[in-house]
Amino acid sequence: MIRKVVYSIFLAIIVLSLVLFFAAFPFGKNKMTVGKYYIDHGVQQTGAANIVTSVVLDYRGFDTLGEVSVLFAAAAGVGVLLHMIGERRERKVKVPPNFVVRVGSRIVFPFILLFGVYIFVHGHLTPGGGFQGGSIIASGFLLLYLAYPNYKLKRGGLAAIEGLAGLTFVTLGLYGLLTPKVSFLYNFLPMGVFNTLVSAGILPIIYVAIGFKVASEFAGIIDDMICDVMCRGGEK
Amino acid sequence: MLREILGYFFLYFGAAFLFLGSYGLVRFPDLYTRMQASTKSTTLGAFSSVIGVGILHPDWFIKCISVAIFILLTAPIGSSALMRAAYKTGVPLDERTVVDEAKDFFAEDEKEEAK
Repeated sequence: MIRKVVYSIFLAIIVLSLVLFFAAFPFGKNKMTVGKYYIDHGVQQTGAANIVTSVVLDYRGFDTLGEVSVLFAAAAGVGVLLHMIGERRERKVKVPPNFVVRVGSRIVFPFILLFGVYIFVHGHLTPGGGFQGGSIIASGFLLLYLAYPNYKLKRGGLAAIEGLAGLTFVTLGLYGLLTPKVSFLYNFLPMGVFNTLVSAGILPIIYVAIGFKVASEFAGIIDDMICDVMCRGGEK
Repeated sequence: MLREILGYFFLYFGAAFLFLGSYGLVRFPDLYTRMQASTKSTTLGAFSSVIGVGILHPDWFIKCISVAIFILLTAPIGSSALMRAAYKTGVPLDERTVVDEAKDFFAEDEKEEAK
């Protein structure tokens, strides 16, 4: 009883402070200075039709490099933790997937890849981008893992793709230091025609690199986790 | 005019099916019958709603057709896999079940896989 009272008091405090906190911000009236700047100047300065991309990759490109590194650290952590526990063994599946799932996943898989590539190639034009497209591609690989118990990604190839993609991102950023406007991740390529595939300078290239990187990292995480889970299931 | 009638027909047909499916989800007694209600209705309901939208907006017709094809392709596969997994892990049938044809089917299935 006392517990419930204490819980409700705490809940009331949290809700009240949140309400007061958000009530202090005017909603939908004057945009904050930074947001207004992005909306007013984003299209002219970056040439990207998707304003989120112009913020994520251009104004805050350095943050995104950090984000990619965080994701890399997370993937590495998953791998290290799961491999610390025991050796990798053959996957054993109690009930193999049936014919319908095997054939269906074969039909759907190329379309999932296509959709993922579309999402990250059009990252500067439509909602979406490297992170989203990469996750979609990784989900396609998850489907193959589920449908084929013997399926196995080559980890060496994944690591090579991941490394190359990361290298592309950093190299593009470093090249900005060589341009007259000495700054990291400076958008040195021409803007191109607004709202076409080849526009916004280096942003699409960076998003393609991020797409490859995220896809290979997530596929690696899936490989680590599914193998470990399946091995443990087979042990019982 | 004809296009609008056809489009709204498909749209309301789909909506009615989705309603029936969610009603069945609440009313049916066990997992298998509920899955049957929900997957059949969402496949046909979502399919005809999307087709209806495509007919109402001819610009989107190709997109809607491809969305509908993917719904037809993926929803039954996913639900059949779920259903099979549920049966093989021993989710109980309702007491009032009269016939269980899956028992014989899966027995034969396992024999073939063992070969």
